[in-house]
Amino acid sequence: MTGVQANTGTGNNRPSVWMRMGSSIDRRFKYYMIFPAVLIILLIGLFPAVYALITSMQGITMMEEDTSFYGLMNYKELMNDSRFWESLLHTMIFVIIALPAELILGLLMAYLFLERLPGRQVFVALLVLPVVTSPIIAGANWRLLFDNRYGPVNQVLGWITGEPVTILWTVDANYVYLAILIAEVWQWTPFMFLLLLAALSNVDQSQMEAAELDGASFTSIFKKIVLPAIWPVMAIAVLIRALDLFRLFDVVWALTRGGPGTTTETVSMYAYVLGFRQFETSLTSALAFVVIFMLAVTITLILRRMEIDR
Amino acid sequence: MMRGDKGTGLALRYVAALAITTIFIFPIYWLAIISFKTPNEIFAFPPVWWPESIQFANYAVLFKDGDVNAIWNSMVVSTVSTVIAMLLGTMCAYSIARFRTGGNFLSDWLISNRMIPPIAIAFPIFLLYVKLGWIDTYLGLIVLYTAFNLPYVIWMMRGYILDIPIELEESALVDGCSRWRVFRKVVLPMTRGGMFATAVFTFIFAWNEFIFALILTRSSVTTFPVQVTHYFGVDSTFWAKISAMSMLGMLPIFIVVAIMQKFIVRGISLGAVKG
Amino acid sequence: MAQLAIHGLRKFYGKVEALKGIDLDIPEGEFCVFVGPSGCGKSTLLRTIAGLEDISSGTIEIDDREVNDLRPRDRNIAMVFQNYALYPYLNVFENIAFGLRSRKTPEAEIQKRVSAAAEMLGIEAMLDRMPRQLSGGQRQRVAIGRAVVRDARLFLFDEPLSNLDAQLRDGMRAEIKRLHQEIKKTMVYVTHDQIEAMTLADRIVLMRDGIIEQQGKPLELFERPVNKFVAGFLGSPQMNFVTTRLVESGNGLVLKFNHGRSLQVEKSREASLKNWIDKEVILGLRPEHITRYVTADKNSHIGEKIAVTVDLVEPTGTRTYVQFKLNDEEITAELPSHMVDKPGTEIDVLVDMGRILLFDPKTELVIA
Repeated sequence: MTGVQANTGTGNNRPSVWMRMGSSIDRRFKYYMIFPAVLIILLIGLFPAVYALITSMQGITMMEEDTSFYGLMNYKELMNDSRFWESLLHTMIFVIIALPAELILGLLMAYLFLERLPGRQVFVALLVLPVVTSPIIAGANWRLLFDNRYGPVNQVLGWITGEPVTILWTVDANYVYLAILIAEVWQWTPFMFLLLLAALSNVDQSQMEAAELDGASFTSIFKKIVLPAIWPVMAIAVLIRALDLFRLFDVVWALTRGGPGTTTETVSMYAYVLGFRQFETSLTSALAFVVIFMLAVTITLILRRMEIDR
Repeated sequence: MMRGDKGTGLALRYVAALAITTIFIFPIYWLAIISFKTPNEIFAFPPVWWPESIQFANYAVLFKDGDVNAIWNSMVVSTVSTVIAMLLGTMCAYSIARFRTGGNFLSDWLISNRMIPPIAIAFPIFLLYVKLGWIDTYLGLIVLYTAFNLPYVIWMMRGYILDIPIELEESALVDGCSRWRVFRKVVLPMTRGGMFATAVFTFIFAWNEFIFALILTRSSVTTFPVQVTHYFGVDSTFWAKISAMSMLGMLPIFIVVAIMQKFIVRGISLGAVKG
Repeated sequence: MAQLAIHGLRKFYGKVEALKGIDLDIPEGEFCVFVGPSGCGKSTLLRTIAGLEDISSGTIEIDDREVNDLRPRDRNIAMVFQNYALYPYLNVFENIAFGLRSRKTPEAEIQKRVSAAAEMLGIEAMLDRMPRQLSGGQRQRVAIGRAVVRDARLFLFDEPLSNLDAQLRDGMRAEIKRLHQEIKKTMVYVTHDQIEAMTLADRIVLMRDGIIEQQGKPLELFERPVNKFVAGFLGSPQMNFVTTRLVESGNGLVLKFNHGRSLQVEKSREASLKNWIDKEVILGLRPEHITRYVTADKNSHIGEKIAVTVDLVEPTGTRTYVQFKLNDEEITAELPSHMVDKPGTEIDVLVDMGRILLFDPKTELVIA
């Protein structure tokens, strides 16, 4: 028997979930059903991609509309662009620090809420709020919090250290990264938390109890039983967050606008500047494809690693 | 596991939970009270943690100055694009789930659409929209958000549809329903829960979206995230407006979350579990 | 004139041939049961009749009309599913009325027909309940009600009783039989339970591996099976099979067993066994055709006597199953409980030689 069984009873060997219908009416039906959705996605997805590909190999800049074939010149120019590499570096810093932070914090929180807790519903409902907030709002929110005179962050720090604190979080190059990371982790740790909470709840209780009785330590139980069980969910969560972090824009925009100067400029922000401030059409398109290419490579590598780990 | 569900263990966990939740909620609280403070209180040093009285002047200003339009614009765009995406997406999901339409090619293509970074297509879309005359129009943003949300809706609804026992549809077919009627009268009612969960997230995405709203709108269809960024001047920051507008913008989301609480948690986790 | 006619039906799932050439003619009003072991294709066959699966070659005719390319809704059939397939978000009335509404039947007509169907099945009190409030048996009735309420020409049942517990099953079986007598429509019923098949069918279609092994009246298949499979499938407990050798002896043909035992074959069968002398054959013997030899009771001297050693005794009330060995194979006999001794005892049993069957060991077909 091939295929997946769909809730059929015991003796029924039904090899197909899909309904095999021969009539032409049904054949038309299934295509009608996908037509509107596919059309819209194509309009927004395909055309721009094709256009970007073409222009990335032309010479359209702010000054001239040169549509002759430039080949891979734009790509070479990008490779030599230090601002591009810096933006890439900034983005990677965010990814490498925020992701593990969100993961570990989320895991700890999930464990905290795992067992019975009165009013857990309420806690969870409140903890969801950062996730559903617009990242722009989150950024704006933290900008107010980080204000060096009127924001509570410096005030609280002052209480702790005993001396007045006047850190210019959104302007001082030494602190901007921390500010952005705090805002980012604040917003997305609950996301990890929710996912991991669900995953942890599904771990086989009896397996863990048996191990406990056998005298296994917490770390070994975690490594051998819990981790493998939550790995699929965790992997997806990490993948989603990694992709999102790579595309970081809103939160940074609201907090620092990429500043001071271009110290916190991410790849997405540079692309925006290139296209909508400097009108370097071709370069922007090239940048877009470089980004897509890097993402595709990363995703494939991650997916392959996930397959290997299974 | 730690025996933390009784006595001191429980108390400690409860305190920790309280502390953590407070920390996470505090920023929102801060934003809220700013919106209720008088200018003097906002710019008081050291900062005031509890306003003297709750006053709505900041909100009144928004209404007076017409900034509230941004909320309305967001509402229109998000709602319409969600409805369309849910309808078309569920239709497409049904075809893929039950008929394997397009085989692996279609499924893979749809998944890959989710992975494209928006900024990569931002500029070409901008040019396309200029040509179509869709800049600063409801239509433009609605079509865009619908297109962005469709892959997600299709992916989620496909999972929910596959959970329906196929006998229900077969029985309806034998009983005299056309395929479309089966979709309307059997599939849609059976996936109502899944549709709610998916619709919530679709709506939230459209509501919070910034980059394309920034690029594709000017003054008529400004959505609320863009509106908020207008308040960050070079030298002055309109704190009162920022906070009041943010609160107004978060309000619908909070309401939706409160109502759909169950679905949200299930939606976030199921999305990952269904993989 | 046949109402359901199937000719040369073949169905492939990719490379796997699920139905290997089915020919079947079912006249109007007949209760026909498709029965067989798991994977024999009976459900698949039913579903192709319904139009839920398409066929690779052959024809299906309902009322002399070829329906191969017709959608299920155009074939004028009703179907009852194993899992009831009730819509959980509609109450009982709406569930039953579902098909009528799809065909845009007027409201008054719907009311009339649904009430009539509900009454016939004894569920008129539950019309406004939701499926989750009903028991398994009640749900099954609703499912049947939904089929009955339409004026279909053909009724299909896909293992409808498999999900019920044993007691409930017996009751529902009787109800289905009664239903058939009342509405007199052609019914095609799929089950893996041979008791259901025997009690319900006008005609049994016994299938294995995608072909029809034998079809006919239940008693026909039971008493005159064409091969070992059919013989072994019907009847509970199962028919006994022993490999033995047919030899010539003084006054005719005998079947030889170990320990010098033998059973004399009836004279009337000798003609058909001419080619099998000195060859191995398989003896088929039903447990109920073995009785206890009681020396004093002259009436019980019917059949051939054979001495056996009791291995196992399984009492089940009035009848007891006794196992003994012939040619090192286990034979089960059904004896009245008061005639049974302890394991290890040596007793004499009588075999009703008029009821035995002999099979070709290679082809498994019946010889005599």
